[in-house]
Amino acid sequence: MAEITYREALNAAMVEEMERDDSIFLMGEEVAAYDGAYKVSKGMLDRFGPQRVVDSPISELGFAGLGVGAAMVGLRPIIEFMTFNFSILALDQVINSAAKMYQMSGGQINVPIVFRGPTGAALQLGAQHSQACETYYVHAPGVKLVTPATPADAKGLLKAAIRDDDPVAVMEGELLYNLKGEVPDDDDFVIPLGVADVKKPGSDVSIITHGKMVHVALQAAQQLGKEDIDAEVLDLRSLRPLDVDAILDTVARTNRVVYVEEGWPYVGVGAQIATLIQEEAFDHLDAPVLRVSQADVNMPYNKRLEQATKPSAARVVEACKRVLYV
Amino acid sequence: MRRYPAYDPPEYVDWEADPELVRAYRSALEDDAEVAGLVGSFDEATLLSFYRDLLTARLHDISLKRWVRQGVISKAWLGTGEEAVTVGAVRALEPGRDVVTPMIRNAAACYLMGMPLADLFRAYLATPDGPNGGRDLHVGDPGRGVIQPISHMGTNAPVIAGVALAFKRRGEPKVALTFIGDGASRTGECHEGVNFAAVQRLPAVFVLQNNQVALGTRAAHHTVGDLRRWPDQYGLPSKVVDGNNVLAMYAATRAAVELCRGGGGPAVVVAETFRMGGHATHDEREARETFPAELFEHWGRRDPIGLYEAYLAERGVTADRLQQIEEEVTTAVEAAAEEALRSREIPVDPERALYDGVSEGGVLHGLAVRPV
Repeated sequence: MAEITYREALNAAMVEEMERDDSIFLMGEEVAAYDGAYKVSKGMLDRFGPQRVVDSPISELGFAGLGVGAAMVGLRPIIEFMTFNFSILALDQVINSAAKMYQMSGGQINVPIVFRGPTGAALQLGAQHSQACETYYVHAPGVKLVTPATPADAKGLLKAAIRDDDPVAVMEGELLYNLKGEVPDDDDFVIPLGVADVKKPGSDVSIITHGKMVHVALQAAQQLGKEDIDAEVLDLRSLRPLDVDAILDTVARTNRVVYVEEGWPYVGVGAQIATLIQEEAFDHLDAPVLRVSQADVNMPYNKRLEQATKPSAARVVEACKRVLYV
Repeated sequence: MRRYPAYDPPEYVDWEADPELVRAYRSALEDDAEVAGLVGSFDEATLLSFYRDLLTARLHDISLKRWVRQGVISKAWLGTGEEAVTVGAVRALEPGRDVVTPMIRNAAACYLMGMPLADLFRAYLATPDGPNGGRDLHVGDPGRGVIQPISHMGTNAPVIAGVALAFKRRGEPKVALTFIGDGASRTGECHEGVNFAAVQRLPAVFVLQNNQVALGTRAAHHTVGDLRRWPDQYGLPSKVVDGNNVLAMYAATRAAVELCRGGGGPAVVVAETFRMGGHATHDEREARETFPAELFEHWGRRDPIGLYEAYLAERGVTADRLQQIEEEVTTAVEAAAEEALRSREIPVDPERALYDGVSEGGVLHGLAVRPV
C-alpha cells in the first residue's frame, strides 16, 4: 500500500499490465514523446519504446479504428483520448465497430480494447470541452464503461479493463489526476467490472453516483451528517455492466434515493437508474427518486455560471432533504 | 460464358468481343516487362483458375439476384462488372496467412480465401449455421483471414491499418488488404486510416476500387481532382490498373503485397472499373436512369469475363475447355445455394440468436428488461 496520485495509479496500472502482457500497447495523441497531455503515460515511451507507446496524428476516428483492427487480430490496445470530448469524433469506430463486432460476427471476433481519458468538465474550458460523455458510450450494447473516482479504483478498474476481452471505456476526470490516495501495489490488484462500492455507509438516504461526482456526494453526506442525517454514498464505479444488486440493496435499506451525475439530465444515467429502481424496487420507495445533474444547457465559460451549472454539494443536500421531506 | 438475359446487364446479353479492346487487354499484360514475365509464365491450369474464380463471383451474384426475384431475400449488393478487381486483388494474397476486409461488393473475397460458398449464401439467408450464426449478411471468417465487411464505407481503412499494425508489431510477414470505393475515399475516416498507415509504414494494401459511383452519385459529382493521384498525398507507391483485367489486377496487387511483405508498405492499387447495376438490386432502374447510357455501353463492352475469355482463346485455351469449367462452376454454385437453402430448415432459437454471444456489456441487466 502506498499513497500515490490518481494519475500515478493509472500509469502504474498500464505499466504493470504491459510488463505482464506483451500484446498490450498504448496509442493516442501525445502519449509518447510528450508523456500524455495530462502526463498519465509519463516515462512509458522510455520503458516500452515507440512500438508499444505510439503517438498518433490528430485523428480520433483513425486511431480508434487502428486500435479496433489491431484488437481484432490479437493485440490489446489502450487508446487514450486526450479527453472524451474528442472521442465524439471516434464514435463510429466505438459504436459501429468495437461494440458490434463480437455479436455481429457470431462470436468469431472479439475486440479487447480500452478507450481511456478524462470525461466531464474541468475548469472553464467551454462548452465543447466540458462534457460528460458516459451516455454516448453506455447507450449501445457491447461497450463496458467504468468511471473510477479514487486512485485505488483507477488502478484496479483500469487493470480489469485491460484484462477484459470486450471493449471497455475508462472515463477519468481531469480534476482527479492530482488526487492522492492509498493504492495497493499488488500486481494483481484488480477490481472486477460491474461491482459497485459503498463509499460511505448510511441509513437515511442513498446518494447513488459515479465518477468525479462521488466526491460531491461525499461532501454532501458530510454536510448532512452535521444535521444528523445519515446518508449512504454508493459509487456505481461501472455503468455497464451495472451492479443492480447493490442498487436494490441500498434502496431497500434507506428507501430514498438521489442520483448525482455530471452529465445532462435528459436521457441521462440517472434516468436509467431511476427507471430500474421504480421497476424493481417500487415498494421500497418512500419518495420519488430525484436527480442532481448538470443543468440542461451547454457548459458556460463564465466561472460563476459554470459553477451554477454543475452539480454541487449544496444541491445534493437540498435534494436529499426533499426525498426525506425535511 | 452462358449469358443470363433475366439477370445480366443488357450490355452483357449479346456480348461479343471488340477486337480492339482485346488487343488493349493483351497489351496491358505484355507491355510491362515485369507483368509480362509473370503472366507469360502462367500455365493453362493457372490461367483457368482465374477464369473459375471470375465465374464463381458472377454466378454467386446471379444466384442472389435470382433469390431476390423469387422473394427468398429482399435485396443483394452485387459486384457485377467488378469481379476482376476482387479476384485479381485477393488472389495476390496468401490464404491462411494474410488478412482481407472486403466491401460487400467484394463477396468473392471470402470464397477466394477459402470460405465455403454455401456459407456466403447462408449469411444472406441468416441461417443459424452460418459463420456468424445468422447475425449478419456481412460475413467473414477470421480463421481464414477474412474480417467481415463493415457496413458503411471508409471504416475499413483504419481497421485494416490496425490489422497491419499488429502484423508489424509481431514481426509477422503478413499483409492486410482492403478495398476503398471512390465514394469511401472521400471520408475523413478513410483519410485518417490511410494516413496513419503511411506514417507507421504498415504492411497494408489499399485497393482504390473506382467504380465511378457512390451509391447514386457519380464520381464527377463527389470528387474534384484525379483519383489516380489520390495515393500521392500519402507518399505511397501506387499503380493504376484496368480493374476489368483480372491478370493486370493480380500482377499489380502482387507487386503491392510483395512490397509490403518486404517492409515497404503501405501500397495502393488504383483499379478503374464500373458498377454494371444499382447500388443494390432495388435501385438498378434508378442507376440506369441516373447515369448516361454511354457509361453502361462503354463499360459493358469491357465485361471482365468476356474479355478474359477472348484473351484465353488467344493463349490457346479451347472453347470446350472453358465450357467444361463453366459447367463445373455452375454446378458448384448451384449446389452451394441449394445447400444453404436447406439450412433454412434449421429452427432459429430466438433466445440464442438474439442474446447468445452478446458481449457481457450488453447482457446482465439488459437481459432482464428485454422487450416482452
